[in-house]
Amino acid sequence: MSLHLPVISIALLLLASFVMPLLRRGARAAALPFTLSVLGAVFTVSLYLIYLVESRGAFSYHVGGWPPPWGVELYIDHLAVYMMMVLSSICLVVMVYGARDLYHEIRAEVMSWYYTLYLLLLASMIGIALTNDLFTLFVFLEISTISACGIISIKKDRECIEASFKYLILSVLGSGCVLLGVAMIYMITGYLNYDFVAQELPQAIAEYPYNILMALSLFIVGFSVKSALFPLHIWLPDAHSSAPSPSSAVLSGLVIKIYAAAILRLLFRVFPAELFEVVPVLDILLFLSVLAVMAGSIFAMVQEDIKRMLAYSSIAQIGFVFMGIGLFGNRALLGGLVHIFNHALMKSMLFLAAGLIIYAAGIRNIRDLRGIGVRMPLTMGAFAIGAFSMVGIPGTNGFISKWHLALGALDLGRPFFVAIILLSSLLNGIYYLPIVINAFFGVKIEPRSEHRDVPGMMLVPVLILAAGVIFFGFYPGPILALLEQAIVL
Amino acid sequence: MEAVFYNFMPIWTVMFPIFMSMVIFIISRRSEKLRDGLSVATAVVTFFSVAAMYPYLAAGNIIDYTIFDILPGLGVSVRVDILSFSLAIISSFVWMLVAIYSIDYMSHEHGGDRYYPIFIFTLGSCLGIFMAGDFFTLFIFFELMSLISYVLVIHEETREALRAGYKYLIMTIIGGLALFFAIILTFELAGTVSLSQGTLITAAGTLPFLAFLSFLVGFGMKAGMFPLHVWLPDAHPVAPSPASALLSGIMLKTGAYGMLRVLFTVFNIPLVKETGWDMIMLVLAVITILLGSAVALTQEDLKRRLAYSSVGQMGYIILGMALLNETALVGDVFHIFSHALMKSTLFLAAGAIIWKTGLRNINDLQGIGKKMPVTMGAFTIAALAMIGIPPLNGFLSKWTLALGALEAGAPLYVVVLLISSLLNGLYYLPIIIAAFFGGEEEEEGGHHGEGIPFNIQEAAHRMVIPVAILGLACIVFGLMPNNFAFELSLRTASFLINAGMP
Repeated sequence: MSLHLPVISIALLLLASFVMPLLRRGARAAALPFTLSVLGAVFTVSLYLIYLVESRGAFSYHVGGWPPPWGVELYIDHLAVYMMMVLSSICLVVMVYGARDLYHEIRAEVMSWYYTLYLLLLASMIGIALTNDLFTLFVFLEISTISACGIISIKKDRECIEASFKYLILSVLGSGCVLLGVAMIYMITGYLNYDFVAQELPQAIAEYPYNILMALSLFIVGFSVKSALFPLHIWLPDAHSSAPSPSSAVLSGLVIKIYAAAILRLLFRVFPAELFEVVPVLDILLFLSVLAVMAGSIFAMVQEDIKRMLAYSSIAQIGFVFMGIGLFGNRALLGGLVHIFNHALMKSMLFLAAGLIIYAAGIRNIRDLRGIGVRMPLTMGAFAIGAFSMVGIPGTNGFISKWHLALGALDLGRPFFVAIILLSSLLNGIYYLPIVINAFFGVKIEPRSEHRDVPGMMLVPVLILAAGVIFFGFYPGPILALLEQAIVL
Repeated sequence: MEAVFYNFMPIWTVMFPIFMSMVIFIISRRSEKLRDGLSVATAVVTFFSVAAMYPYLAAGNIIDYTIFDILPGLGVSVRVDILSFSLAIISSFVWMLVAIYSIDYMSHEHGGDRYYPIFIFTLGSCLGIFMAGDFFTLFIFFELMSLISYVLVIHEETREALRAGYKYLIMTIIGGLALFFAIILTFELAGTVSLSQGTLITAAGTLPFLAFLSFLVGFGMKAGMFPLHVWLPDAHPVAPSPASALLSGIMLKTGAYGMLRVLFTVFNIPLVKETGWDMIMLVLAVITILLGSAVALTQEDLKRRLAYSSVGQMGYIILGMALLNETALVGDVFHIFSHALMKSTLFLAAGAIIWKTGLRNINDLQGIGKKMPVTMGAFTIAALAMIGIPPLNGFLSKWTLALGALEAGAPLYVVVLLISSLLNGLYYLPIIIAAFFGGEEEEEGGHHGEGIPFNIQEAAHRMVIPVAILGLACIVFGLMPNNFAFELSLRTASFLINAGMP
């Protein structure tokens, strides 16, 4: 039974998402508890799967009992369960927040559609994390693209529609690249399953070198667009800043990272290592990540809208994940992967805190945030913790990822990247800390009349995430232990 | 059993103030009296907790205890040896007096509810730096203290204070990142950052040099070393005076403490001498001394002048450690004591003047000594000690430093010390002269030729007494060369010369 759990959790999410729109007026009140219980169940399953994988190792699951290469195969290893845990935990916490917040951001009629899209998005992301064949990967990729677009455009104002259209066009372009890549791989090897492809590719390399290279570059471009790796990030600031706050939290915290995890899988499990000696793919990724880290921070510095600033900051932070992949050493990879979780925690917390400010005070402009900390001490306190974590102050989880990335870079004898990490931390400090300072100190402004009380149901998730930032700063042991096994790919 | 008790002591001394800061924060909504009382009580208890470790340490023991590991080879640990103790005892002593001083000083200021918790929290994190058992723990408390003391710097919330605070914050972050780089390099090279493993880096090379430079930047930033001192003259004067006293008197010393650890635990004397890295520190120290003293001359604002003077005095401390011999180290550690006492006296005295009269400009201080004789008396003692006039403590530390310089075969540094003393005299003496002998013109009227009678308008008792105690301490520690502080300096120096091993 327990071996069926991965597929059951995906199926449960899909099923729940289909049921949502069917809930009619009377049953609509049940939508939220239902969604939360489904998310809670998936989170529990992910924890159980971690235990399972820790105790008995990675295992494959053949959907419907059809063996590969024909059937759909899920491969549940340490990386997969790690991603599943990250996805489901953050989704659960964000949904608790969204339950209240969404009513003021979107119209009540479309609430059940929001739940549908949200659950679909989570299902597709878990699918991407677990799948072991290219076709399923592509299917889930498409689902995630569409549903991600949906949770942006659901707000139905001009800005959102425009942003989601931009996102849709670029993202579909990315999907097209991935599809072409899949087709090429299939043409060369005749398989779609990762393991079978990986077996065939080393022999095929002599015969079809260009096709394989083409496929590789198509995958890289496709996934880079989707994970907003510089310079293919242009859609992100609009999409993430205009979306409703819970959507922004999930999009910035999780969605862009799942594609990074997917490309990591492809690079290290599917493509043969000899290929990287011919083309410096990893170095290309590495230097793109350096550019992303610097450019994201610099763009973020000049933003006036708080959510836009957070969105640009995400571009820099995804750079760290790719830096871990590009450095390709054990410790650096560990740093990049642990940053997936750490950044998910802090960025979703920051987006939710920004959402709270927008909810309570109606302020989006950074300059107007003066004195907000006096009115909303807990929210801005959490924001401050997130800011410290972005800078990498020890005792926050941001420090743990930077520590591993920097140590990994040193292991490989490339102190240049340590300098980049430090420089980017400094830049983070330069644009995050003034917000915190201005919020608490300096000129006091008169409380605005439209100030609303912060509902506990919105505040608690922010505080939970903030507590997580501190907790995993002091106690990253379990996560790191899990990831140490995950990187033995 | 004894060891278990003493392992627990440093954790208690660090965590007690941090915990109490929360209590004070909650209490402050109820009663201001209780808040003030609790703050003083916390500082006093902390001081005695630190002092209670002395018998155990004096017996030659070292408290060394790992609390838990965050990552393999990287944990939170405490370690108290004679160097840690020296710095912790002087810090908690000055903190205690400043806490008493704050009660009346802060009653005129806004935001006391914020000030006291931060004040006590900073005490805890400052002691945490001194009692950290490895560089990682040290780094946590270092960042904690630096970031939290930002609130003390900008307490007035004027435009000027905020600007100075921003500069302070950015420089702190740069320093923190440099420190992060240094620690990570040390970890990479040595596999550990513990302070109790003996010398961590034994071979020269590019990476060790980078580590050394980054440590120098990280700790030098805090210590106000040239050219990283730029934040200091802005940040120290804008803070409320008790906070200035702590920032200048104590918190600068955390940088010096870190540098001592770097020189004698991360690296060792032969390595630093062989590679010539000590020359970098010596040159920077000389520039720091001369620049600090020279710029202080040009300052009109009393607290700004004191802040620049701190830059110069930190130069002595960096010079003392970079000379790398035992005599210089004795002078060095003793100067940490002396400067903590002198500079807190001066800042608290300046604070008392500002509190009572609102005067900050040096030119307005004519005749202030007749109104506030005790305050200005203490100021005079401390200023004379700064110049290095015997028998004050400043003389003793300069004397020993000069002896150390001669022992190192570098009489040049003695000349630097003398020039700086001269400059100190040039900028401190006019204040004293004007305070006691100036101001006759205006009040000349009826008292011609008899001198002006004292017209005593001292600040509140709870402000004057701490100032007086600190001023007296400057005399006591200078008059008796075999005092407690000097004793500690001797032992610390021999401890450091043995590469941080007892």
